[in-house]
Amino acid sequence: MTSPAVEVRDLGKTYRTLRGTAVSALDGVSLRVEPGTIFGLIGQNGAGKTTLIKILLGLGTPTAGVARLLGSSPRDPAARRRVGYLPEQMRLPDYFQAKNFLRYMGRLNGVDRAAMERRIPALLERVGLGDVRKPVKAYSKGMQQRLGLAQALVSDPEVLFLDEPTDGLDPLGRKDVRDLLVQLRSEGKTIFLNSHLLSEVELVCDRIVILNKGKVARAATPDEFTRGTGEYLVRVAVADDAARAAAAAVAGDRKAEWEQNTLRIAPRDRAQLNSLLDRLRSVPVEIEAVEPVRLSLEDFFLQVVSGEEP
Amino acid sequence: MFATYMNSLRESMSRRVALVLFGVAILVAIAFNAVMHVRTAGDGAKMIFVGMQPPMPPAIGVPSVLESELRATGSLWLLLALFAATPLLTATLEKGWLELTFSKGTARWRIFLGRYLASLTLYSATFVLATLPVALRLWWTTGIGTWRMGMALLIQTFSFAALLAVAALVTLPQKGVALPLIGSVAIWVLSPSLALRQETFYRIFSSHVVRGIVDWAYRILPKCSELEDLCVSYIQRGTIASSWPVWSTGVFTLAVLGTTLWALERKSF
Repeated sequence: MTSPAVEVRDLGKTYRTLRGTAVSALDGVSLRVEPGTIFGLIGQNGAGKTTLIKILLGLGTPTAGVARLLGSSPRDPAARRRVGYLPEQMRLPDYFQAKNFLRYMGRLNGVDRAAMERRIPALLERVGLGDVRKPVKAYSKGMQQRLGLAQALVSDPEVLFLDEPTDGLDPLGRKDVRDLLVQLRSEGKTIFLNSHLLSEVELVCDRIVILNKGKVARAATPDEFTRGTGEYLVRVAVADDAARAAAAAVAGDRKAEWEQNTLRIAPRDRAQLNSLLDRLRSVPVEIEAVEPVRLSLEDFFLQVVSGEEP
Repeated sequence: MFATYMNSLRESMSRRVALVLFGVAILVAIAFNAVMHVRTAGDGAKMIFVGMQPPMPPAIGVPSVLESELRATGSLWLLLALFAATPLLTATLEKGWLELTFSKGTARWRIFLGRYLASLTLYSATFVLATLPVALRLWWTTGIGTWRMGMALLIQTFSFAALLAVAALVTLPQKGVALPLIGSVAIWVLSPSLALRQETFYRIFSSHVVRGIVDWAYRILPKCSELEDLCVSYIQRGTIASSWPVWSTGVFTLAVLGTTLWALERKSF
C-alpha cells in the first residue's frame, strides 16, 4: 500500500472571536489523497475548504487532529518544496515580467537556476503564455490565472493544490486547464482541486469529497455520486393519445410522466422497460432515444448541503 | 533568503520609493557640495568655506562639515527611509501574495528577514550616496582622512535597524502601513525626551513608580538621539565615549526582530 500524498485525520480548526465565542471551521475532518490521482474538494462558501487547504500548506495551524503532506508535517519547508499551489486570490506584483516572477517562485521552492532556465520557456508554452511579451500588470484575468498555474508547476511538484484554477478563464481556457490536469495526472502528479464548477470537478476528478459546515458530508468517486436514479427518459417522435395509452398500460402503478415527446418512467426492472418499448413499437410509435436518468454532481451536492441526502 | 532580498530591492525600485530616496540622496549630495568650497589662500594654506561661515582650516573644517552634514541628513534619512521601507514589510503579508510565498519551500522567517535586510540595504546605500561625495571631496582636496564618516554611518544604521524592527513587529498583528509607521516614528520622537528624562519626564512626574517606568523605557528602547550624538562626537574626536547606546540598541533590535520572526513562524493565517 503506497503512502498517501495527503492525509488528514480528525482535523479540527476552531477560531475564537473577539468576544471569546468559539467558531468551528473544521470539525473532525479525515481524508486521504492517493498519489497520482485528482482529488476534488467541493463545498459551499464557508464550508472550510480554504481553511483545510491552508492547513495542508502550512499556512494555518489546526487546533485538533493531524495533517500530513507527503508523509511530513505541512510546516516542514522540505515537504512544501515538493508542492505547487495556485491560490484562489492571487496578487501578482506589477513590477514582474512573467519569467522573473517564475524565477522568484522557483527560487523560493529551491529550484536551481539552470533547471529553471530550461523549464520556464516550456512551462509558459504549456500554459499558453509562450508568445506573450508584456509585463504582468498588463495581463488579463485569464492570463494571470495561467501564470498562476505556471508558478504552481515551476518546481515540478509531486502534489498540486489548485484553488479555483479555471476562475476567469473562457470556455476554451477551461478546457485547456482540464486537459492539463489530466495530462499532469498521467505524469504521476497528485492534484488537489478545489472548485465551484462542479461540472469540471465531475469531469476530471477520481475522488470527490463534499465538505459541509466543516465536516466531510460525503466522499466517493464521481460515478458513485452520479449513479443512475432508476428512472429512464424515452423520447418518441410523436406522443399522441395511442402512445400515452400504451405507456400507461405498461407502467401500471409505476411513475410515468410525459413532458412533450419525452416519457420519464421509473420501471420496476429492465424487463418492464423493454415491455414498454415493445408496446410502444407495436402501436406503432417511433422511438428516438432511451437514456437512464443520472444524478449530476450538482444535483447530488445540492441535496447533501440542503440536508436532503440521497 | 537571498532570492527574497534581491526581489525586495527590485520591488522597492518598482514602488518608486528607492528611486525617490536615490533622487533625494543625489540632491542632498549636490546641495552640500554646492555650499562647500576648498580654496587655497595666498600663503598656500587650504581653507574650507561653508556658506556664510568664516573660513576654517582643514583640521577644523573637515570634521565640522561632516558633522553638519550628519546633523542635517541623519534624522531626515531615518524618516524618509522608514516611509520607504515599511511598505516593503507590510506587503509581505498582503492577501494573495502571502499565500503564494509562504506556501513555498522557504521558511517564512527567511522571507521576512530577506525583506528586512533589503530595507536596511536601501537605507544604507542611499545614506552613503547622500553623504559620501562630500566626504570624498574633502579627503581629495585636503588630504585629511574622512573614513570616520563611514563609522558614523554604521552607528547611525543601528537607529534605523531598531526602528525598522519595531515596524516589522507591528506589521504582524494588523494590516496596513499606518500603525507600523506610527509605532516606529513614536519611538524615534520619544528617544530624545527619554535620554534627557531628568529634564523632561521627571519634571512632569514626581511618582517614583512612574519615574521607574520611564527609566526602564529608556533602558529598553532604542537610543536614536544618543546614537546621533555619538556619531557626531566620533567624527570630531575619533573615539566612542560610551558604547551603551550602541549595544543596548543592538540588543533591542535583535530581541524585537527575533520575536517578530518567531511570532511570524507560529502565526496561523
